[in-house]
Amino acid sequence: MTLAARPARRRSHRGLDDRLFPGATAVSYVVAILLALACVIPLLYMISLAFQSDAEVQGGTAVLLPSTWQWGNIARVFDAAPFGRFLLNSLIVAGLITISHLVFDPMVGYVFAKFDFPLKGAIFTAILATMMIPFFVRMLPLYVMFSNAGWLNSYQGLVVPFLMDAFGIFLMRQYMISVPNELGEAARVDGASEWRIYWNIVLPQTKPALAVLGLFSFVFQMNEFIWPLIATSTEQMRVITIALPLFNKESFTQWNLTAMASLLLFVPICALFLFTQKYVVRGIAMSGIK
Amino acid sequence: MSLVDTVPVVDEGTPPSPTRRQGRRVTPLRRKQIITAYLFLIPAVVFFVAMFFYPLFNELLTSFTSGLTDPVPVGFDNYLRALSDPVVIHSFLVTLEYAAGSLVGSIIIGLLLALMLNQGLRGRVVLRTMILVPYMTSIAIVGLLWRNILDPSVGILNTALHAVGLPGQEWLNTAPLQTLIGITVWQESGYVMMLFLAGLQAIPEEVYEASKIDGAGVWTRFRRITVPLLAPTTFFVLLVGVISSMQQFGLPYIVTNGGPGDATSLFVFQVYQETFTNQDIGYASAMAFLLLIFILILSFIQMRIGRRKDLV
Repeated sequence: MTLAARPARRRSHRGLDDRLFPGATAVSYVVAILLALACVIPLLYMISLAFQSDAEVQGGTAVLLPSTWQWGNIARVFDAAPFGRFLLNSLIVAGLITISHLVFDPMVGYVFAKFDFPLKGAIFTAILATMMIPFFVRMLPLYVMFSNAGWLNSYQGLVVPFLMDAFGIFLMRQYMISVPNELGEAARVDGASEWRIYWNIVLPQTKPALAVLGLFSFVFQMNEFIWPLIATSTEQMRVITIALPLFNKESFTQWNLTAMASLLLFVPICALFLFTQKYVVRGIAMSGIK
Repeated sequence: MSLVDTVPVVDEGTPPSPTRRQGRRVTPLRRKQIITAYLFLIPAVVFFVAMFFYPLFNELLTSFTSGLTDPVPVGFDNYLRALSDPVVIHSFLVTLEYAAGSLVGSIIIGLLLALMLNQGLRGRVVLRTMILVPYMTSIAIVGLLWRNILDPSVGILNTALHAVGLPGQEWLNTAPLQTLIGITVWQESGYVMMLFLAGLQAIPEEVYEASKIDGAGVWTRFRRITVPLLAPTTFFVLLVGVISSMQQFGLPYIVTNGGPGDATSLFVFQVYQETFTNQDIGYASAMAFLLLIFILILSFIQMRIGRRKDLV
């Protein structure tokens, strides 16, 4: 063992390489590129589909690209159904849930990372155990509860079942364990309130984990399907994931408009992913560690 | 430091750390820490009780009754009926088949991709991003898009097959479950790849160095080091995969409506039908609880075998 800890760009021996069989690297390139293309080509085709004319999508033989790009389809989709409203509903619901996760998950994670108190293990286990409860087990009781409270077809009805998230709490707890105690203790000795220690000293040190948490919460809530399907029936409260299959059912021959409506959700989420993929990658890796 | 005087207990020399402090005696400072912890926890306890445990309890009660309106206690009847109902058994088996197919597919492709991307291919960040896009896409979009692509008359897949002289297929009629498996593999392989990449990164380079000194070849190193050391990751992928496959709802709902016939009536889709279409609430609750029991068993297996002792 030398002290030269990090030899620059050491070749990894964990994958396949040319010593496995001649040309293995070339084969890897070809296979990886083909699989990556297989992942994106259907989605690129969706973009093409969104800009095709009615004749092209109903013609019997599908076409790869529109002969002329029908930019008018963008306006048509908003005329066909209030997709602006649906998208806004999705953004409001996902936004509120994300804010709530960012407020509560680190708070709870902090307590489990830095405090000792009676019943700590039991409470932590109970919270983590909620990760195993399939949504379908609490779907019907929640529906009845919210129906009695008059919360169906309301923002609070869509938001409240997801205000906190056991995985987010676990993620923040894991991250906060590694935040050093010294600063907080110094502030405590100086008489800072517990809330200030948390808010001003501990929380700012967890920004990378907060970014992962916020990103995942937002994307997954934008994509959420089951609960909005059950908890909303009015057009006014419909979110876009529910609006898409409904719209497709009503105008099933107009695949171009269905595809265009899908793009309203796909493009923002995809753009967000491309700009933040570093965090996404980190988040997925964290989900696999434990 | 005059502020020190205002803090009650700091006469011990070392600053009292709430996590390290294990003393039996409840000092005023420790009491303050306990109160703080509980105050911070109040919202979480209220939330998880109201939104998870109370509904769970309600669902359990309902599963022993005839339903919500004029409930009559029926004991274990709903459970016994579900366990002997051919529709439920069929739906459970279909779901297992779906889970097995999509897991085998996504583990093979995900592992292959991870091994390839891990050797430092140029442009691997671009490839990784491309492969992950389907995973970040809503099931609503994925379901509709594939229904269009696979459509026997207007879909582009059959058009492409005709163009190269192959016969078209009615994918969702002739092989509905396999088609749903294929869509899932397409969507989830990127996620599985990421988990395997994380697993590969966690293998210390020294292990490989040591085996190289011992004269092990590339293939031996792969077989004797990479594969066994990836076992925990594989196990995690399997368990998480089975649990999430058991709850697949969007694909049957959007793509096949459970059909043709009952070929793709995955378990939670069946629960949904019993709840909202047949309105057999007590029965649906029992089915949901059977699913919970199955998932709990799997999770306990994972905790026993997987290294999850550090959770608590």
